Formats: sequence, C-alpha cells, structure tokens
Amino acid sequence: MSSDRAKLLSSALRRLADRPTTIMEVCGTHTVSIFRQGLRSLFPENLKLISGPGCPVCVTSQGEIDGAIELATRKNVVMATYGDMMRVPGSNGTLGELRGSGSDVRVVLSAMETLRMAEEMPHKEIVFLAVGFETTAPATAALLIEARKKNLDNLSALCLHKRVPPALRALSETDGNRVDGFLLPGHVAVILGHEPFKFIPERYGIACTIAGFEADEIMLALVDLLEQIGKNRPSLTSRYDKAVRPEGNVKAVDLMNRVFNTSTSTWRGIGPIDESGMSIKEEYSLWDGSRKFDVAVRNMPEPKGCRCGEILSGTITPKECPLFGTGCTPITPVGPCMVSSEGTCSAWYRYGRKGDLKWES
Amino acid sequence: MGKLNLGQGSGGRLTSELIGKFKAQFDDVNIQRDLEDCTMISPEWAITIDGFTVSPMDFPGGNIGKLAICGGTNDLAVRGIEPKFVTLSVIAEEGLDEEELLRYGRSAASVCHELEVKLAAGDTKVVPRGTVDGLFLTVASMGQPLGKPLGMDRIKPGDRLAVTTSIGRHGATIGSIRFDLDVTGLSSDCAPLWPLVKPLAPLPGVRAMRDCTRGGLGTTLCEWAEGTGLGIEIDESSIPIDEGVSSVCDILGFDPLHLACEGCALIAYSPDDEDRIIEILRAHPSGIQATSIGTVVERHPSMVGMRTKAGGMRVVDMPVGELLPRIC
Ligand code: SF4
Repeated sequence: MSSDRAKLLSSALRRLADRPTTIMEVCGTHTVSIFRQGLRSLFPENLKLISGPGCPVCVTSQGEIDGAIELATRKNVVMATYGDMMRVPGSNGTLGELRGSGSDVRVVLSAMETLRMAEEMPHKEIVFLAVGFETTAPATAALLIEARKKNLDNLSALCLHKRVPPALRALSETDGNRVDGFLLPGHVAVILGHEPFKFIPERYGIACTIAGFEADEIMLALVDLLEQIGKNRPSLTSRYDKAVRPEGNVKAVDLMNRVFNTSTSTWRGIGPIDESGMSIKEEYSLWDGSRKFDVAVRNMPEPKGCRCGEILSGTITPKECPLFGTGCTPITPVGPCMVSSEGTCSAWYRYGRKGDLKWES
Repeated sequence: MGKLNLGQGSGGRLTSELIGKFKAQFDDVNIQRDLEDCTMISPEWAITIDGFTVSPMDFPGGNIGKLAICGGTNDLAVRGIEPKFVTLSVIAEEGLDEEELLRYGRSAASVCHELEVKLAAGDTKVVPRGTVDGLFLTVASMGQPLGKPLGMDRIKPGDRLAVTTSIGRHGATIGSIRFDLDVTGLSSDCAPLWPLVKPLAPLPGVRAMRDCTRGGLGTTLCEWAEGTGLGIEIDESSIPIDEGVSSVCDILGFDPLHLACEGCALIAYSPDDEDRIIEILRAHPSGIQATSIGTVVERHPSMVGMRTKAGGMRVVDMPVGELLPRIC
C-alpha cells in the first residue's frame, strides 16, 4: 500500500466513523499486522479496535495445558507440538521447562511429522498435542486418518482444537457486548467459507467482514464494516477473495467431519462454550490420546492476577491489566496472551507499550 | 531481583536496566556519566572496553578475533576518536585447538595492522573445560580525538540521520548458522569503522555517531531519543536491508531493526551537510550502501516513530528479551 493510498483509505475511515465504533479483530495475526504496519495511526479517534479470542495458544485453558503436561511426564511418551505451546504456563511450569527436566517434548512444524516419528520410534508412544482452530484441525484429522490406515498404534493426538464460529456466537450473546463489528479471520474463512459466519449479522445484527492480512486488505475491510454500521445494514462481506471461496475448502471441512464431533470446550478466561470444541469420533478412539492415556482435563483457575479472559473477550486492553509490563513480560509471561507471538499482550508489549503515534504529513 | 537471564544480555531494555543497577554500585568513583560508547579520561585520551563471546566463533565475514578488534575500536571511532592502543585478555577453554586460537589471533592482529593500532598489554588464561564456552576475548581500547568528541548532546531538532550500510547482517548471519539456514550471499558486516568515518570526524555538521551492535539500529535510535529527549522519525522504505537478512527475518520472525550490526554506524548531522556526508561515505567500500533514513524532530519527545511501507506510523521500541544468545 502506498502512502497516498494509505491517506485515501484513512480519510474514508474518518468520513465513515461519525460515531464511536468498536471493531473486534478476531484473529491474533490481524492484531500483530495492524501494530507492525502502523495502521493504528491511520484510524480516526472514533474507531476503536479491540482484540478477540483468535490466538489458538491463548485460548487453550490452564486445565488443558496441565493435562498435556501430566501426560508428557509419563514413561515412554514423546510429546510433539507446535513451538508456541512450549512456553505456555500451566499450573506448575511449561512444556519447555518439562523438556529441561528430562521429558521428551519436541517441536514440530506440521502434524504429519509425528507420523514419521511414530514409525521411527516403534517402542515409544508419540502424542501429538493438537491445538488451533479450523486452520490446523484438518491437518490433525488427516494425520489420524493416515495413522488408522497404516495401523500405527503408537501414535495418538491429544485434541484441544477449537471452533471459531461458536466463540463468536458466545461473544455476541454476552450481556453488555460492545462490539459493533467483527473483522473476521481470513485463514479460518479459507477453510469454512462464508456460510458459518452468516448467523452473526442475521441473528445478532453485528457487521462482519472477512479480511486478509496486508495493510490494504485490513483497511478496506474496515471501510466495509463502517459502511455497514453507518447504514445500519449489517451483513457479511469479504475483502479476502483472493484466498477465500464462498464455499470454503470443502475437502478440509470433510476431513474434519470424518474425524471430529463438536463438543463443549473450555476457553481460557472465557469458560465453557457449547459446540466450540472438537472431540475425536468413536471410530478413531484408538488414536485419541485423552482416552488412551485417560487424561483428565480439570477446570483449573487461571494464574492469580492474570486477566487474559477479559483480554480475549475484548473487555479490557492489555494496559489495563495490572501485571502488564511489570509482573508479566515476554521473558516472564504469566498468561498465554504474553507468550504467543500472536497474543494480544505480546503485541502490545512489543509495539504499543509506549503508546501510539499519530500520522503527521 | 531474580537470577540473571540471557535476555538481560541481549542489548535491549533489560540490558539497560541491568547496567543501570550495576553502575549504581560505583556512583562515587564512576566518571562515565554520559551513556556514550567511550569515555574521555583527559582532553587527549578516550578509553573503552568490550567483551566478545560469540558462538559460533567462525562465521561468514569474520571470526571472534576480527570481531574483537573491530568491536573494541569501533566504540572509539564513532565518537571521532582515532584508535591508538588496544589491550587483549584471552580466556580459553581447556581443549581448544591451539592452532585455532592462533588463527583468531592473526585475524585480530591484521585489523590492528589495518588501523595502525598497537597492542599495549595482554593476558592469557586457560580455564577448565566447561567454565567458558570455547573462547572469550576482552578488548580495552584507547584513542585520541581528531576534533571535539562527537556525542548525542550535540544532536538538534531538524538533524538528519543516516546509516553507513545495510542493517542486521551480523545478527542474521549468526542466526542463520544457529538455525541451520543456508542463505546464499549472507555474511556479517563485521568491519573496522575508523577508515570509513575518519573523514567525517572533523566536519562541524556531524553531531553524533553510534555503531549499531547488540539490539541493532532500533535500540540505538531509542537510546538517542531517550538520551536527548527529542523525537526521531525514520522511513521504513529508505532503510537498506539485504535480501538475505529479510529472508532470515521472515523465517525466524525477527525484526531487522533489532538485529545486531558489527560494521554499521548511525550518524546524526546537520541537514545542510547531507549531500557531502553521503558522498564521503559512499566513496569508501564499506559505505557504498550509505543512505539517509530519517530526521530528529521535536514532536513525540523521547520516542522513535517509523513511517511504515504501508503508509502508517508506528513506535519503534527497544527489543525485549533474548533475540539470539551470544552474538558478539
Ligand atoms: S498482561 Fe499478562 S497477566 Fe495480564 S492479561 Fe496479559 S498475559 Fe495475562
């Protein structure tokens, strides 16, 4: 996006924001992108962006992490997961610290890597700690389908996947919800398409636009949202057509449907949300780590003082958390919002700690 | 106050805090009051000291020996001080190959030759295996100013800022080795700065220089903004960044503004001298990528703002925590 185009889009936003408006960027990648590209400086005063529950690491509950950590300490278990999970604090330490004290915890870049690990280490139990939204869940599904085909009985997944649309429903239903519009996560929409989001404007009257991650795409999506809000005609639009087809990725959705049932899942700080989880279907139970190892996911209280729940539901900004920047920093994270590279607190700490600068020509 | 962590040595905010606390112990006897890279101990002499612990010790573009003399003397050069003497302390781990040690010594000596700097004192210790990792070098350097020593107290609103070469090459090179990335054409910018900046030192329009080591260009800019109480604005699109550095940053999630440089200086100067300064820099082989990147301003005091390629403006802050351990 050129400087001229930035000014043009900025003035369009200024013209459209004729009243105080709050937009939630659902996805952590949007939060980071907005900070890094300095877009906040282009927003009018009236337009407030808050971050939502769209960082997969951040919404993993304390009880889920504790369950994973407990499993990783068992004899013969090799736990594999995505890098960001290593530093998420459970009640007693992190997976990374566990590795330091001798447990076999490994970082993988893709779910399929664990298939090879299982073949190479037949006497070990490989457990894939599966986290993330509809973006990573199809890969876990494909992994389990493959494992069943190959009859690999030393591979399983501890499935902590979560579904985005039910979380948006829960947020829309929250009393005192102050959100006028959702900047919808482009990556999730690539998989799901348009349909699963349509209920938000239709049932709750909240404006929705699917957005990409470039400066241009984000600014255009915000223009869309403000137009919908201004005309009081909430609908679902997309500004990410280069990647999102209205019907989504049918194959990926099919993979998920073959392997997972929807279930209730507990989101960190927010609590249980109906239909927002994915549990492994009966026919894949041999590859379900939680059944195989009888892992109990308990409801654990969040660390003392941490206000991740309010961050994830957009009720407060990180600066309003008393621990932000003092007790809680990327070096000494208290909550996962400070751990993950997509976490809201970490983005604020990296880019927004000193405040914002306004654009001056 | 807990145990030290590597983040406190990475050159960002946590390092500044740690140094501040440690320095407070010397309040009565400390003559290094300003936060400059070296200290004038008399009108004729300046002194500085630096330790080098890089891992790996050999890297494309240099090794720990070359790095030690470049790093040690660059802290003088950026205040317009001609390096004259160095002292070198060697702490080597039992088991290090003797020939390897001598090879690093030869590299260090050849930089001394190039700069016509003399070795004035030295110390060599071999310590039991495991107490240091390979080899630690410490260099103290002394030199004499060519004119009035440069320093951030001379920076004024309206001054322009330039970098002498593309940024982040040292950090990206070390990072690519650590993470096993094979990036063609990427090598450290490790080089002595004095031959490059010597012609600038006597120019009255030149206000201050800094070499952007640990913490990179971003940290250096923040130190100036905070040290002067002025604002700084830079333009993302004008900052020279080599393709290899960009690739490493994309893959490893680093910000090039925060990657260490070992032969790149940031210079503040009067806007009237811009053409002349850039021309002088570009005439030297280590300065061909020299370019102006921003301006010192009165608005947003103590803050560094960057006009992004997307046309927005964002705050540049010091990096937090550990980027890459043991980089220099
Ligand atoms: S600053 Fe830290 S403690 Fe506070 S909400 Fe964010 S992650 Fe939790």
